[in-house]
Amino acid sequence: MARSRTGFWLSVPVYAAVVALCVAPLLILLAYSFFQVSFVAVLKEPTLKNYVRILGSETYRWLILKTFGSGLMVAAITAVIGYPVAWFIAKRVVAAKSAFLTLLLVPLYTGDLVRIFAWRMLLGAEGVINTFLMAIGVIREPIGALLFSSLATHIVLTYNYLPFMVLGLWLAFEALDDRLVEAAADLGAGATSTFRRVTLPLTLPGLVAGSLMVFVMVVGDYLTPQLLGGASGVTIISAINDLFGTAFDWPLGSAIAWTMLAILALAFAGAAIVISRSSLGKALAAGEA
Amino acid sequence: MRRGFTPLLWVWLVYGFMYLPIAVITLFSFNASEIIAFPLQGFTLHWFGQVLTDARLGKGLGLAFLVSVPVAAFATFLGALAALALTRYPLRGRGVLFAIILLPFLIPKVILAVAQLILLSELKIERSLATIIAGQVIIILPFTTLIIASVLVRIDRRLEEAAADLGASGWSTFRRVTLPLMKNGLMAGWFIAFVLSSSEYVLTSFLSGRHQPLSILVASDFRFNISPALNALALMIVAVNLAFIAIGEFIRLRSKQT
Repeated sequence: MARSRTGFWLSVPVYAAVVALCVAPLLILLAYSFFQVSFVAVLKEPTLKNYVRILGSETYRWLILKTFGSGLMVAAITAVIGYPVAWFIAKRVVAAKSAFLTLLLVPLYTGDLVRIFAWRMLLGAEGVINTFLMAIGVIREPIGALLFSSLATHIVLTYNYLPFMVLGLWLAFEALDDRLVEAAADLGAGATSTFRRVTLPLTLPGLVAGSLMVFVMVVGDYLTPQLLGGASGVTIISAINDLFGTAFDWPLGSAIAWTMLAILALAFAGAAIVISRSSLGKALAAGEA
Repeated sequence: MRRGFTPLLWVWLVYGFMYLPIAVITLFSFNASEIIAFPLQGFTLHWFGQVLTDARLGKGLGLAFLVSVPVAAFATFLGALAALALTRYPLRGRGVLFAIILLPFLIPKVILAVAQLILLSELKIERSLATIIAGQVIIILPFTTLIIASVLVRIDRRLEEAAADLGASGWSTFRRVTLPLMKNGLMAGWFIAFVLSSSEYVLTSFLSGRHQPLSILVASDFRFNISPALNALALMIVAVNLAFIAIGEFIRLRSKQT
């Protein structure tokens, strides 16, 4: 039929664009990860040496661990901060729901660099927070560790990706049937056990989806650690950047990049399993009810 | 217990945190002092004048338009094709198409940028404005697709069926029924794509050759300097971005009511 062919022809240019500009580059990157550098030329003979070097290098292992550790930590922090906010927007706000959601997303559109610039002004030794605290007499000396530290990086990473966590959780709370919570209370469950045994399991898909988004974006964030982390700002992503720039070892950089992609793919697979299982449980519960 | 005052206070604190940077930029871009610190020294527009008369920034702004206008147009066009295929027509492998559109969004930008760099060097293509445009379109495509799809799913399918029943061909149904109804989605997509493109830094810095758009120029300023003039520049960028987003959202939400 004509209509079924229309869908196919519409999707052809889209597939072509993504394959040419994303899939093909990633495949060439994969090919390069098996090459080697000799002096200033790339030697195109397949070898596993780059991967062996990554596994054997304490520095790269540590950087990979550190980057993924940051991802997990920021996902956990945004989950704790965002959970009550998502609950509030879904269950307590009636008329202005879309206004609350829009206001949450607006800061995302200010752009990476503007945001980082603003945070440097806020966190600096002679910055806004320090001078404000000194002016009102809370501290005498400026807190130097606010800027160019791991603390600064994680504050701003939390800031950058909190809205994504709230969005994921909000969707889960919108789907949560209030009657289940009320039923638990009627049957004598306290606030804590209602939360632990009803609310939390039912919002788990949103929690996992939000955490995954935050995790992926934190792991891939280059600018924030680089510009706010000071000496602590070296990440595995900045190592890839260096290997493609000054260090000129494209094959090793490619191998690190593909190691990262493989770990990210594992994280996705894990999250997909959790989400599909819990929605399966949900569907079963709905079927019985 | 959870109905009390505490959650509301928490929500206020979180929203305050989200708006703290914008508030500080605004406050200090009107502050009559070289030093960005409390206490405030009085009102001035001096810093805005300094930015507006900077010729280097003006040239960068021009280049930014040369990049972002076509990026927004291509990303909106491809996003429209993808959204139509996903929501309006029977399609095998809908899930695959959706996954492949989201793929560029999920790959860390530095990794995507170096991958594109290798491809360019293998094909012996010089870096130029065209390579920036191509690179940006693919990471903005997920956003335009979702925006346009969100408008398309609200269009009543019976309108198209009625047109077909009355003898309109597939093309003329699209041109005279679907297209006018999805126009708001296209415009909203264009505005948001423009903002995302003009503030994109990582991919742009890898793919730009000699021509450096505004985001690259201001990057080195924003990275290494702090001054009230930069503050004013930041506020102007924020204001323009938010105005564009507001226009886009207004257009998109207007289609909800019709």
